Amino acid sequence: MNTAARTSAASVRVEIDDVQSGALRPRPVPYEGKFIFLRVDDRHAGRALLRRLLPLTAAGLPEADRSRDAWVAVAFTYQGLEALGVPQESLDSFPQAFREGMAARAELIGDAGESAPAHWEAPFGTGDVHIALSALSSDAAQLDKELERARVAYEDTPGVQVIWQQDVHQLPTGRTTFGFRDGISHPNIEGVGLPGSNPQEAPIKAGEFILGYPDETGSLPPMPSPEVLGRNGTYVAVRKVHTNVAAWRQYLRANSSSAEEEALLAAKMVGRWPSGAPLALAPEHDDPELAADPHRVNNFLYRENDDRGFRCPAGAHIRRTNPRDSTIIGDARMHRLIRRGTTYGPPLPEGVLEDDGADRGLVGVFIGAHLERQFEFIKAEWVNDGNFIGHPGEKDPVAGHHGGTGSVTIPEKPVRRRLQNLPSFVVTRGGEYCFVPGLRALRWLAELED
Amino acid sequence: MTATTGAAQPAHPERPGRSDGVCSEFTVFTKIKPGHADALRKDLAKIAGAENRAALRQIGTLHDARHVIFDNDTQFMFASVFDGSWDTYIDDFGKTVVGKHFDTIFAHSEGFPGVSDPGVKDWFVAHQEPAGVFVSSYPDLTVQQIWKDHRVDEAFEEVLDTPEFRAALDNPANAELVATPAFQKLLEEASA
Repeated sequence: MNTAARTSAASVRVEIDDVQSGALRPRPVPYEGKFIFLRVDDRHAGRALLRRLLPLTAAGLPEADRSRDAWVAVAFTYQGLEALGVPQESLDSFPQAFREGMAARAELIGDAGESAPAHWEAPFGTGDVHIALSALSSDAAQLDKELERARVAYEDTPGVQVIWQQDVHQLPTGRTTFGFRDGISHPNIEGVGLPGSNPQEAPIKAGEFILGYPDETGSLPPMPSPEVLGRNGTYVAVRKVHTNVAAWRQYLRANSSSAEEEALLAAKMVGRWPSGAPLALAPEHDDPELAADPHRVNNFLYRENDDRGFRCPAGAHIRRTNPRDSTIIGDARMHRLIRRGTTYGPPLPEGVLEDDGADRGLVGVFIGAHLERQFEFIKAEWVNDGNFIGHPGEKDPVAGHHGGTGSVTIPEKPVRRRLQNLPSFVVTRGGEYCFVPGLRALRWLAELED
Repeated sequence: MTATTGAAQPAHPERPGRSDGVCSEFTVFTKIKPGHADALRKDLAKIAGAENRAALRQIGTLHDARHVIFDNDTQFMFASVFDGSWDTYIDDFGKTVVGKHFDTIFAHSEGFPGVSDPGVKDWFVAHQEPAGVFVSSYPDLTVQQIWKDHRVDEAFEEVLDTPEFRAALDNPANAELVATPAFQKLLEEASA
């Protein structure tokens, strides 16, 4: 790759104080959070709400201590911008994927069968989601304080309706419903002043994540007009995903003959052990001490020591969705994302293999300046296909929609293991594409006239 | 008895069109008869189904082909990649469904003499436009080899899925075979 070109223009400074915290900040650990969807029935009311939300919308760098971070973020669907009375010329300047919305792109990103929009939870995909508010904090008291201010703002605004709410929180285990620590990886973005989690990752151009700055192509990302609206904004794909934890545990049990084998098989599918220790650094067994060291837990690449995937399979979830320097088709740096997964619902108690009927899963946000080249590409090429790693037709073992016919290749000497008849472990409950404007843009939206 | 003497003569005169390894490109541009574009479109749709897949099997040397109507319904392009030369088997095709397809499609082009006409090769050559560049990602593989490789790979993967194969590798009776460089090459493919 063109390393010289990448490092030469390192002088870009992102106007971080204008960028919403909901865009660039890593998820706090631990966390409590809430997602609130609003419908704007009257554009003047919508603008009034924005004027009230502005003072509590956070921007700038996070607390150095991730355990003290908290913020409220405001994002808009295409219908939301329309409902606020954004001029048509400006609406037309947004990229096609955003204008169409996630439901219209479902087939492309693999949301078929039980994950198809026809089965989504209302109001996902109906066009009624206009404003997405999210709040994340490291502690419940701080979250409640932020939410209370937001609540006062929207409850004082007739003509704006809360149509959906979802609480999210870290499970007592500090892990996802599947039992794995998450929220470990964060890209190294140039000119932001926020360290990435992998010391070996060369800085990614700010334009991959924030509009108004050059991206990895060397050009400015396409930006909606007017400039005041686009600059320092970004896009987010919000998804609610149900996890079938019982099916996951049953599958692991049925395909291994001991607890050790079961743990290894699960790690081979995820790419990390439950503690978060990566297979690339801990190929044989979990290593909680390594996982607890923030300087080591994400400090790895693949090509030099594991290009063929004998430690971490090329098809493992974390390697598919962030292949780092693996040998793949294309350039992985063109498809980076900021990911923040947050858990909802109760955990399935340890050791239980039968489904208890409870709804549990995650609300994931996927952030980048290019919906098509980042989120949608990753879903279509890396999660729902395997051609890029030489296994056409194979999907992400954890995040793919397999429908009972999935297969996964796990490299092993002398003969690779190939798991077949994989069921789906996740079901998409719904999703929306949103635009996350900068603070100046938020003010511009609040002050629209007529 | 007269022995064949001298260097082997090519079976056909040199044809235009570029090659890369075993395959070559063949692209012709023709004029669509006035008013025939819709009929051509219908005929193309007809041959696009399962029957065409069977026809490809019958040809056995065609990597891919596309039929394109362009320039405001006035022109037609047939672009294809064959093993060897496109005309090697053209006489053979004349008697098959493939020949019938050629006849149907090119009947909408001006001046097409029919696939069984002795002048048909000259007609194609007269309408051929060779590529400036033609490259293949698998220049050493003919269509027949690709099909064979695919069958071998499917069988290989199936064998790898059997516990008997895994056991055979550990069986000392097979140690000699397993240690051969050729078998090690196979295991290299088996492991990932």
